[in-house]
Parts: sequence; structure tokens; C-alpha cells
Amino acid sequence: MCGIVGYTGQRKALPILLDSLKRLEYRGYDSAGVAIVGSALQVHKDKGFITDLEARLPALEGTTGLAHTRWATHGPPSQVNAHPHVDCSGRIALAHNGIIENFQALHETLEAKGHTFRSQTDTESLVHLIEDHYRGDLEAAVREALREVHGSYAIAAVCADEPGLVVGARNESPLVVGIGPDENFLASDVPALLRHTDQVVYMMDGEMVVLTPSSVLLKDLEGKAITREPERIAWNLEDAEKGGFEHFMLKEIFEQPKAIHETLLGRVANLDVDGFFAEGFTSVKLVACGTSYHAAMIGKYVLEEISRVPTSAELASEYRYAHAPAERPLVILLSQSGETADTLGAAREAKRRGCRTLAICNVVGSTLTREADKTIYTRAGPEIGVAATKTFLTQVVALYLIALRLGLDRGTLGYEEADRLKDELRSLPRAVQAVLGQSKFLEALAEKYGDAKDMFYIGRHVNYPVAMEGALKIKEISYCHAEAYAAGELKHGPLALLTASTPVVAVAVRDHTYEKMRSNLGEVNARGAPILAIASEGDRELAKIVDDVVHVPAMSGVFNPVAVTVALQLFAYHVAKKRGCPIDKPRNLAKSVTVE
Amino acid sequence: MKAVILSAGEGARMGPFTASEPKVMIPVGNRPILEYVVKALVENGVQDLVLVVGYHRERILSHFQDGKAYGARISYVTQSKQLGTAHALLGARTHVDGRFLVLNGSNMIDAHFVEDLLAHADGPAVMITQSDRPRAYGVASVKGKRLVGITEKPTEVISNLINAGAYALDASIFPEIERLAADGKHDLPGAVSALAGSADVAAARTEGMWVDALYPWDLLRLNAAALQSVPDVRSGTIEPSVTIRGRVSIGEGCTIRSGAYFQGPLALGPGCEIGPHAVILPSTSLGKNVRIGALTTVANSILMDDVSLGPGSVVQDSVVGSGATARAGLLAASGAGDVQIEGEWHAVPQIGALIGEDVEIGNGASLACGTVVGTRARVADGARLRGTIPAHAVVL
Repeated sequence: MCGIVGYTGQRKALPILLDSLKRLEYRGYDSAGVAIVGSALQVHKDKGFITDLEARLPALEGTTGLAHTRWATHGPPSQVNAHPHVDCSGRIALAHNGIIENFQALHETLEAKGHTFRSQTDTESLVHLIEDHYRGDLEAAVREALREVHGSYAIAAVCADEPGLVVGARNESPLVVGIGPDENFLASDVPALLRHTDQVVYMMDGEMVVLTPSSVLLKDLEGKAITREPERIAWNLEDAEKGGFEHFMLKEIFEQPKAIHETLLGRVANLDVDGFFAEGFTSVKLVACGTSYHAAMIGKYVLEEISRVPTSAELASEYRYAHAPAERPLVILLSQSGETADTLGAAREAKRRGCRTLAICNVVGSTLTREADKTIYTRAGPEIGVAATKTFLTQVVALYLIALRLGLDRGTLGYEEADRLKDELRSLPRAVQAVLGQSKFLEALAEKYGDAKDMFYIGRHVNYPVAMEGALKIKEISYCHAEAYAAGELKHGPLALLTASTPVVAVAVRDHTYEKMRSNLGEVNARGAPILAIASEGDRELAKIVDDVVHVPAMSGVFNPVAVTVALQLFAYHVAKKRGCPIDKPRNLAKSVTVE
Repeated sequence: MKAVILSAGEGARMGPFTASEPKVMIPVGNRPILEYVVKALVENGVQDLVLVVGYHRERILSHFQDGKAYGARISYVTQSKQLGTAHALLGARTHVDGRFLVLNGSNMIDAHFVEDLLAHADGPAVMITQSDRPRAYGVASVKGKRLVGITEKPTEVISNLINAGAYALDASIFPEIERLAADGKHDLPGAVSALAGSADVAAARTEGMWVDALYPWDLLRLNAAALQSVPDVRSGTIEPSVTIRGRVSIGEGCTIRSGAYFQGPLALGPGCEIGPHAVILPSTSLGKNVRIGALTTVANSILMDDVSLGPGSVVQDSVVGSGATARAGLLAASGAGDVQIEGEWHAVPQIGALIGEDVEIGNGASLACGTVVGTRARVADGARLRGTIPAHAVVL
């Protein structure tokens, strides 16, 4: 998604803005631009990478400015469509993240008033609207303009006539204020600020902020002042550096034992949810998008098996279209960033339907955690690689913790069984470590299978969403087409697609689906498709009917997804590397999808 | 000044504890040995570090990252074949200029040690220390304050002065390394010895800390040394009537049940769960997420991350690798024992058991003093073990 940074202070703004902007690269972008207020307003922007822009930039003086990375929604990536956008006079510059829904109507009205439009973006209508209201006071002009705007936005604006001033506002798109000595910052996300300050103020919907080098004024859209204490960010900048690894994704894969330790910390003995699970619902609905949705699907099996509560998993973008049944389930929303627009929409819809909401989220203070009734943090730390790895596994681990607490609180889980499950939970970091130790072997397998044009992933029961996650990783980072099927569905169609050049990756660990998986693999084998199986340690049977076997530590039933997923992550990583793909920043993808 | 830390080796003599991580990452006092080296350097203002990594390099990268958390700037050089220490240093050649330090990542040292090495900053120097088992090391011949040569693992005891594996060097070492490499020799002491033939190499001495672990039971000495400086910390949930004496560090999210008795120095990592009436005696380190059952006694031992000991167990003078689990009634008490490592027998006066990573032990198993259980071995209920159990073995 788009990224915004703003600066006003004593230092030269340009290097600070570019450096901060690079720390938002993980959000995905196709164009970049910068506006600096010096003796005049200077704007430089183009499609392509930040480094390309940087190489072409002249030295820009000025200690106030803003910069933007764009991820195209209205109008293709191009020089004119890139942000910042300027008004007719070239005095006001604006960077915007989100979607202005009534931009067509604004566009027509403003054009009728004589404003000249250059781009096809929704953003440009807002900058002309601000110009229309400008009477020498940028703050007032922005406030009046925003009253006429419908949609989601995070914005930053500067004006040539008011050097040393940055005005920001937020509605449904993230924006954070960074506070330093004699300088202040604005950014879409915390990593952009970490090099300069650890004091931040999270903005809320319907708020504006006025930054000068020495002051930060938070106001509502009526102009009334709001006071909120800054929070201290515990993340260090080094958390966001690669530290010797070739890619962030690999670093994050190898961080998973530590991340799971953090998720479990102090919670296995007792996940403290203040009796939240005790009563008030008879079923659970898990709602999420993308990789988080795969965690939700795993959660369905986990909650049903451990806590014996009827559970369903639903895509956040579809949830709103489902007609609400009479009963009110507990709605659990999963989002790494807590800013995923579809998931936020679902959270609001769930509340409207009178459901209690629980968030599983990685980012403290994010919008979802403020809107949900209760939050369980995954504590995975910052994830920079666009392909989710450690944030996915920690979501799954959080679901195990929830299932355990839910079962105990509702009396559906006995204490002895709970003790056994706790042992399984505590052994997860070691299970992950055991798979990481096989990275070299998985690299060799990637070498063998990595040239395929299509791949199929199969699994049953809880391993079906694991297969989906494995296929998604391959698609995301290696651009190889991969399709996941519930293994029982193979004979209902996809079997026709199997040839000697379509490898099948099968999750066939020792659980109650094992025998059926074996007969499915027999069907695949008969069609001559090569098979890579993920099996439990000690399995010697599968090697007879498949081409290659990766062994993962034997776990019981619903705990298998964790170790298996790590094997599939490493496989996907090595396939992408073999194919020379830009692993941390795949084309067209954004880290947190803050548009619907 | 920069420092090169040699951290690529496996440490095969560490038995089952280097199956999934290099020797430098073995925890003592709940921190990898290498972390003490990094800390000692940073405290002396040596912040630019080059880590030569190889065997399970990711474990080192994941832990130290770019070094900022330790006040250092770390870059990494990968030695894919561990031919020798000189070969390792050669790989770091382009990362150093002028004078630099070379240290071994698996020797525990303190700031004082580094300070004494830095005092010889005007020319090449090698740190010499005394040892009660010089035959396991390179023995140094010294004339006054000058090094004459280093003899590797001598059959006869010439002196008790050994090479501590820490050097202050400059570019003049590289031609010596290349000359030796041409003869198929890749050890750094050899190259330094050769250098001493043509130039003055100072023999530096120190009163600082230098503790080496040759064998797994040596880890208990390193652990005790590390726990000397353990901070007194209480966090997590400590139930009523828990007795804590001496310096004890209890990590975040721990649960300590009633009646537990702790005698410091002890270190408990985050997320440990200690059962009612467990007794933990000095000098013991429990890693992250360790569980100790009710009525279990642990003394002078290292239990690494994710270890679980069932109720009613006794574990003394033992090292237990990450992820190992034992159900109720494990007996690994201390006494004199003979231990076989890499085919060689060693008489150890006080030892419990050496239990490898991810070993699974059933109820009521009894391990004779000096038993070594290999990685991922599975031991059935009621088994009585002695000697060495190979990795992945199933003991019925």
C-alpha cells in the first residue's frame, strides 16, 4: 500500500525523507515522489524505485517536506499519477494514502470552477479542493476540504507560503506522528521513524495534526485540540535490518522458534482473557484475509477438536455479504498489521450485528486492536518480507492458546488432556528448529522441482489449509503457478491436469488422514506426476510411493501444521531464489492491504 | 580497531550438544559463549566485529543480527569448509586493515582479558595463559616477553603455558598463512609461530578470565563462571511460600509454584514453569520455556531451552540439550564416571548425565554417572543406561 512520510525540523529534509521512505518499501509500491519546501516548493516524482528517483534528484535545500510511495489504485503507475500532487498554483503539495470515494463529483465541481487537472488520481481532486479553501492558512484549508470528502485517507500536506509546517490527517488509513527534539515526523508506519525517534503518537480516525519543528498539535475536524500522551516504541531499528541473511524472508523464517517462544511466553500455564470465553456465545467465527485466512482455517479445526465449539472460517471481504444468522458467534479477527481494510470492515460489521470481537494481531495500538473488544498479540516482532512467515505461525500458535483456554473455560477440555496439549505446545519451537536444520536439503529439492510451471499442493483436514499456505508462498514469491486441493478432491477434476511435469507437494504426516493420503498419492503416482511428500519422522512407508520425502518431527493431530509450514516456507524460498525472484518485494503485492 | 571472531567450527567434542548449533552458541548462564566474547570486546570499545561463521551459521546470524543490540557493528564471513583457523582468518582478509584482533568465539573471556591484549597494540602479540592440561592445547615457548613458537598438542609436557587463541595481528600474518596453506596447513598457531621466526611477536599475559570448554562437562565450569555475575531479577508469577536464597534471575513469564526452594546463583530464562516443591541448587541455568515437575531436584546443571523434566526427578552435574524431555522419576545423579567422547575415554570425577537435544526419556529411567545420550534418542520406561547411546537410537 502507499506510504507517506513527512518531516519538519532543523536538518535538511531530503535525506531524512528518502531514508524513511525506504523503510516503508515493504508495503509495496510502483512510484515514488518527494516535495520539499525551501525558497519555493519543489516536487520530484516518477514511477519506479526510490533509488531511481534518488539518483535523478538535484540537491534540494529546505528543512520541511513530505514523500510518498504509491501503489496504484486509480490510474496506472506513471509520472503524472505519482504523488505528491500539487495544486494549480504549485504552492500546495499533498501525499495521500487511501481512496477518495466522491472524487468524480469533486473533480467536476472543481474543474467547473477553473481548476486544471493533470492526473487521473482521486488524490488530485483533494489538493485542488484544499487550494480552493486556502486563505493563507493551510490547516484551516485542509480542515474545510476534508469536511467535503468521503472515503479513506491518510494525508500529509505542505505549502510554499508556510515553511516549517506539515499538516496531516487520518481516516481509515494508518498515520503515526514521531516526536523528536526540535523536529517532528509523520509516517504511515513505525519502521520509517525508528532511526530518528522512539516517541510516537498513533492518530485516530477523524483526527488532524499540525506539525512544526517545535510543536505537535492534535485536533479533531472541528479544530478542537486533543491531548494524547506519546507512546514509546519497543521495536529497535536493528529488528528491521537483515543481519547477515540474504533476504528478510529467510531471516524471518529462521526467527520463528524465537517468535513462537514470545507468543507462548507466560501464556501456556494460563492465557489471561478475564473470563472473556466463559459465556455469551455458542459458536465461533474466524475472519481474515490472505495468509491470515489460512491461519483461520487451521483455527477452525483446532477450535473444534480441542474446545469442541462449532467454528467457521470466513474471508473478511466476503463476511459482510453473509446474511447474519440469528445466533451471535464470537468473532475472532486475524490481521498481522491490524490495518487490513477488509478485516477492519468485518470487525465493524460484526459489532453492528452485536457480536463480541477478539483480535489476533501483531502490531500494538493498531486500528483493529482499538476496535475489537479484546486483543491477543502474537508478539512476532516486525515482519518486513512481504510474504508472511513468522506472523502466520504465531497466529496459529495464538489459536492453540485460545482453543486451550476456551476448552478449559467451557468445561469441554479435561485437565489431563489439557496438560498433554500444553506439552505439545511447548515443544513447538523445537519442532520448528528441527525443520530449519533441513534448509540445505530443501534447497536441493527446490533445485530439483523449481523449474516447474505448475505445482499442486494437497492435504486433508487441518493439513488442507497448510497446503493452501504452501501454495500461496510459492505463488507470491516465485511466480510459479501453484494450486492447493483438499486431497479427496483430486479425483473430482484436477487429476486430469497431472503430468510428469507437474510436481505434487503432499502433506502426509501421521495422523488420522494418513491412510487416505497414501491412497491419494497412489492415484497421483499412477499418473506419473513427481511427488514431494512432507511426512512424520520415522515414516519409512511413503518413500516407496513418492519421489522425495521431507521428515518433520512427529506431533499429534492439529499441532502438525507448524512444522510442516516451515518446510513449505523454506521450499518456496529456495524455489524463488533459484528462479531469481525479488523475494522480499514481489511484484504487485503490498504488505498490509489497507484498501478494500 | 576491528576484531575477527572465529565461530565457524562445529565443536565435535561437545558430543550431542552441537547437533543443531555451533559450539559458540552453546548457552552458559543462559547466553551463548560467543556473546561473552562480543561483550568483552565492546566494553573495550572494539565495536567493529567480523564473525567468521560456517557450521549452522543461521543460528549465529539469527541471534546477533547486525550487532546493534550488543553495541557492535557485525559483519559476517562464511567459511563453507572448516579447513582451519588460518583459513578462516584468510576469508576475513578484505574486512580488516591495519591492526586487528583475532579471537576464538568458543572461549569465555571478560573485558580484562581483552584489555590486556590491547595493551600490546604496537606489534603482533599472542595471549598466553596457564593450563592444568597443556597437552590438549598448543604449548607456547616464550623467551622473556617474546614468543618463540607454539607446539600443537605435544606428547610430552614442555610447560604449562598455552596459547589462548587470542591474537593482535596485522597484514604481515597473511603471507605466512599463504605459505603454510601451500603445504596444506591451515592452522593459525602455525602461522603465528612462523611469524615469530622472522619478527617480534609479543607473548601477552593476563589476569583476566579465560575459560575454555573442551568437553561437555567443562560447560559446567563455564556456567558457574558466568553465573558469578548473574543479576538478581524477579519476574513472572511467584506463588506464596517459595524460598529464594542467593542471587537468582527469574525471567519474564515464569511460573514458580509453592514450596519451591532456590539457592543461587541461578538463572531462569523466560517462560519457565517450576513445579511445587522443586529444589534448584547452584550453579544451574534453565533456558527458555523449561518445565520442572513437582518434587524434582536439579543441581549444578545446564538445562537448555524447552527442556522438560517430569516430577520426582534428580538431575545433578548434568547438561541437558534443547528440547529434551523426561517423564516422571528420571535419575541422573552425580558421581565419578568414565565418559567416551569421539572414541576416547575420560575419567570425570563428578558427573551426572549428558543428554542430547530432543531426547525423549520415558518414566523411571536411570542414567549411570557419565552416561551420554545422543541427539533424538528415545528411551523407554524403566530403562537403565550407562555408556554412550548413539543419536537417533531407540532404547527399549
